Amino acid sequence: MLLPDYYEFCCRVKIVAGHDALEKIPDLLIERGAKKPLVITDKGVAGAGLTDIVSRAIGDRVDAGLIADDVPPDSDLRVVNRLARLYRDNACDAIIAVGGGSVMDTAKGINIVVSENAEDLMAFSGVGALKRPLKPLIAIPTTAGTGSEVTQVAVIKDHEKHLKMAFGSYFLLPDIAILDSRMTLTMPPFITAMTGMDAMSHAVEAYYCLQKNPLSDAHSLAAVGMIYRYLPLAVKNPEDRDSRLAMAVAACLAGIAFSNSMVGLVHNLGHATGSVCGVPHGLCMAILLPYGLEYNLHKRANVMAELLLPIAGEQVYLATPPEQRAQKVVSLIRGLNENLHAITGGRHARCLQEIKDREGKPSVPRDILPQIASAALLDGASIYNPEDTDYEDNRMVLEAAWEGKPLDRTRVKKG
Amino acid sequence: MSIIKDVQSGKKPLKRAYVAIFLWFTGRAIQAAAKVDREVKKEFEKLPENFTFSLGCLPDGPWMVVGREKGVVKYLGGDSRGRPVQVRLAIKSLDAGFLILSFQESTTLATARNRLITDGEIPYALAIIRILDIVEVYLLPKLIASLAVKRYPSWWTPARKFGGRIGVYTRTLLGI
Repeated sequence: MLLPDYYEFCCRVKIVAGHDALEKIPDLLIERGAKKPLVITDKGVAGAGLTDIVSRAIGDRVDAGLIADDVPPDSDLRVVNRLARLYRDNACDAIIAVGGGSVMDTAKGINIVVSENAEDLMAFSGVGALKRPLKPLIAIPTTAGTGSEVTQVAVIKDHEKHLKMAFGSYFLLPDIAILDSRMTLTMPPFITAMTGMDAMSHAVEAYYCLQKNPLSDAHSLAAVGMIYRYLPLAVKNPEDRDSRLAMAVAACLAGIAFSNSMVGLVHNLGHATGSVCGVPHGLCMAILLPYGLEYNLHKRANVMAELLLPIAGEQVYLATPPEQRAQKVVSLIRGLNENLHAITGGRHARCLQEIKDREGKPSVPRDILPQIASAALLDGASIYNPEDTDYEDNRMVLEAAWEGKPLDRTRVKKG
Repeated sequence: MSIIKDVQSGKKPLKRAYVAIFLWFTGRAIQAAAKVDREVKKEFEKLPENFTFSLGCLPDGPWMVVGREKGVVKYLGGDSRGRPVQVRLAIKSLDAGFLILSFQESTTLATARNRLITDGEIPYALAIIRILDIVEVYLLPKLIASLAVKRYPSWWTPARKFGGRIGVYTRTLLGI
């Protein structure tokens, strides 16, 4: 374990987890002096009946009847402003966000507008612009992957001006995260697989990237072990409530880890692949994770080796020579992807060339890799990667990930 | 009668002088490298016209300001003189600035330890970090530069390394 001379760690979110955690919402709201929350979600979540489950669980002890279910897949400034008006017009006093990353970001944006009585959300963009606590926000994730229920950032897009506003503040952390197994029970296996691997990439990158610290490490190690054990079970038996809850908790642990120690090359290339080709983030993470490990192995072998214990258990850990443990971690994560590929009937892609769109056409044609490699140079995740990266490095990793072949580590440039 | 007295931090003149000289020299070196090194030139070409950035220590400096005017990169001194600054890389304190700029702590480690605040668009800030890394490789011997940058570019050709170094040093000293 590395002991940095200095680090910062913060997670002040109250986490309530269980098979019936949603029923706790009225008490939690009343404790905070709130009685009329605005529930925000998206059409997909509402259509799957998840907001109905939340409404039934809340009952009539608080007035949670106002539900806005039209959050778009990409957070949008106009939607934030419209829903903030809805909040004010109906004299709401708290926000309940039910959904994934976009719903959470939208909820955080609304909370800034209504708490600061702001006209211009832009005035609060950047890091540290918020100076006081916001209205109570309850986050209820409906996937087990993003960890956005415990992160202190939000990204809101102004589609009219083509601007992406990023907000960062400890005040953006939700007050409460509710992890309830019912929220993910209906998630299809291939989405469960890729969102679960997103959580795995948070936990693993948080463990070997530059801002790691003993507190984020503890969260990472717990998350890695739980995901490796429970993800295949949740994908194989979607209605297994215990594995669903375990995955929700693991994704939350991974979220706490990475929001305090950041991520690296895997997210760097994944963000770029997502923005250039529009492919799901979780799938990019699943595919790129073994390559991120391989690329950084010469700098972080000892640290990566420690991941073998939560992944494979004591017997395998002790039976593996220390110098082979990091490589064993890479093999086991590749093996996990293979396993998920098999369980999902091939829908969980193992390499970039296997990702297909709805019509079955390849989503990431090989000739687009140079464009992805260039786009990755504009993404901040590279800062926290242990080894430096340039265009050629990005290209080399992408080519290997496209083909699905292990990275030729002799080609990694070392200083 | 007020019983609370303002506590003034020490001025730390030696550290301040070191950081100021380092920033002055680096600013001129960036201007020089933009003429000598193809990669630095290319990075600046991707930035908008009149792009300006600053690097320095909070709360009251010293600072280094570099800007692009009509395609030419210029060191603008320690003050932006009212010119809008698109990216501000601020080190949280003079002590942290001294640690980083005396290479007791690498830029990467300083970032990981939350000692740097980036104010502005991340893609531009990343370009500046790449430029600063290249300039440090030109200015410093390998042993020290290896502490400053994440990866020392051992694959550079001798012509680039030594030719570039002569070019950057000459132009930096002459201010051209």
